[in-house]
Amino acid sequence: MGYIEGILISACINIVCVCGLLLLTGFLGLFSMGHACFLCIGAYTSAILSINFKIPYLPALAAGGILAAVSSIIIGYPTLRGKLSSDCFAIATLGFSEAIRLILSNFNHPYVGGALGISGIPHKTGLLQAVLLATASIFFVYNYTHSQHGKVALAIRDHADASELIGVNIFREKIKNLMISAFFCGVGGGMMAHYYTYIVPNTFGSVMSTNLLTAVVLGGVSSVTGPVLATVLLTGVPEFLRFLSNWRLAIYGLVLIVMMRVRPEGLMGHKEFSLIPIVQLVKRNWKKSDVLSK
Amino acid sequence: MALLEIKNLSIYFGGVKAVHNVSFSAEAGDFKGLIGPNGAGKTTVFNGVTGVVKPIAGEIYFDGVHLIGLRPDKIAHLGIARTFQNIRIYPKMKVFENVEIGLNSIPRYGILPAMLKTPGVRQKNRESYEKSLKYLEMVGMQEYKDVEAGALPYGLQRKLEIARALATEPKLLFLDEPAAGMNSGESMELVEFLKKLHQDTGLAIILIEHHLEVVMELCKDIIVLNLGQKLAEGTPKQIQNNPEVVKAYLGERRQKYA
Repeated sequence: MGYIEGILISACINIVCVCGLLLLTGFLGLFSMGHACFLCIGAYTSAILSINFKIPYLPALAAGGILAAVSSIIIGYPTLRGKLSSDCFAIATLGFSEAIRLILSNFNHPYVGGALGISGIPHKTGLLQAVLLATASIFFVYNYTHSQHGKVALAIRDHADASELIGVNIFREKIKNLMISAFFCGVGGGMMAHYYTYIVPNTFGSVMSTNLLTAVVLGGVSSVTGPVLATVLLTGVPEFLRFLSNWRLAIYGLVLIVMMRVRPEGLMGHKEFSLIPIVQLVKRNWKKSDVLSK
Repeated sequence: MALLEIKNLSIYFGGVKAVHNVSFSAEAGDFKGLIGPNGAGKTTVFNGVTGVVKPIAGEIYFDGVHLIGLRPDKIAHLGIARTFQNIRIYPKMKVFENVEIGLNSIPRYGILPAMLKTPGVRQKNRESYEKSLKYLEMVGMQEYKDVEAGALPYGLQRKLEIARALATEPKLLFLDEPAAGMNSGESMELVEFLKKLHQDTGLAIILIEHHLEVVMELCKDIIVLNLGQKLAEGTPKQIQNNPEVVKAYLGERRQKYA
């Protein structure tokens, strides 16, 4: 039970982070290669607040998220302003993320702990909290993407220049989405810290950023439910393939390649996953069998 | 003072004088034409006014505001809207959503209400939906409101682009070759449509067009550009009889037959 619970909790944490990243990569079309740094900032902030200042769980997570959002301005302001291409943004985030990780590794303050990280964080992320926070994230992000804010982001992705001439302030919209996405990743990082009870800087390397990005792209751009489903699959499948030992990573890679070859637009593409068509299908068949039996 | 006042506008790309020393003005409610052979700098003038390219010299005043150096979105909010030579609608969005982007280029509510989908947000979404239908009605496309914009036929995509531009509530509308790729029947239909639009809204419209019959029919005043410079300005009649214009369009030898 503990094992499956563990997988579910990591899936929920990943969902929170992916909900943030999909705003940026899915809806705005900006690829971030370094979102792990926002998890890192969120994790450290909430861990330090929790241990040293005895701040309760939710305020600590919120503080981590807010600090992550504020720090995203450091990278967003110079790279999103003006006409720099989105490739520049991707490279800059990669560099920023590595810089944060290395600074923390070499910062030997007792609160931060250098390369050894922080241990003894109170275990506060249980299954209930994880599921509730993941559900809340999906709810918030779904509403946001289906609001006027989300539509403007899609407009920028499709035709940035035309949108600007209609009156969209491209820089403000981009930085807004970046900050929100950093906030969710910061909260996810805080959840992670309070689940594993210890954190080291090396956890938040580029592999973590890539995994988040994979979930968004695999799940489908301009969909919320797609990346969420993809996150569950990407967290679960490697665990179920564990009996294959090292081969599971090869199979994981193969699955990704086949997936992108067959459905380049991602699992859900531009659609949302919904139970309504299934319910309708069942109802229709129900009626049909009713008619037949009479 | 005129609504739009362009004085000695020059836009160079490296050594190319795309627009050189061009001046003209437009009053509220005007319907002006901007014509000239390919590469005359017509679209570049639009780009200069809307802030896409930065002029090297000259002044542009709109409603008394100096436009040079302002960001394109600021200029759009002052009341200048435009369409594009190559259509730039949002193909994956529905028709009414395209218009809604024009309406809500700055979202009408904050981030937190959007995430919580408060009753106020629902109310504003409903209002913007109804408003978008109003603009679709203006261009006669209400029945297509739920169609994916990319699936529309060419002529309707053009009209949708105009509806989206109208949704920004402009005082001045730039149309960049709205009849491009249309046959003469379709372009005559467009003429009727634009005539009615101009009457109904009272907007100032400046039109770039290669179909000269469209321009002659619609515009009371025509500006001719050639090689980046203003060649002539006048009524359709004056322009048709101007030997310089005929030369620019048809070359020297044509004069014999003219």
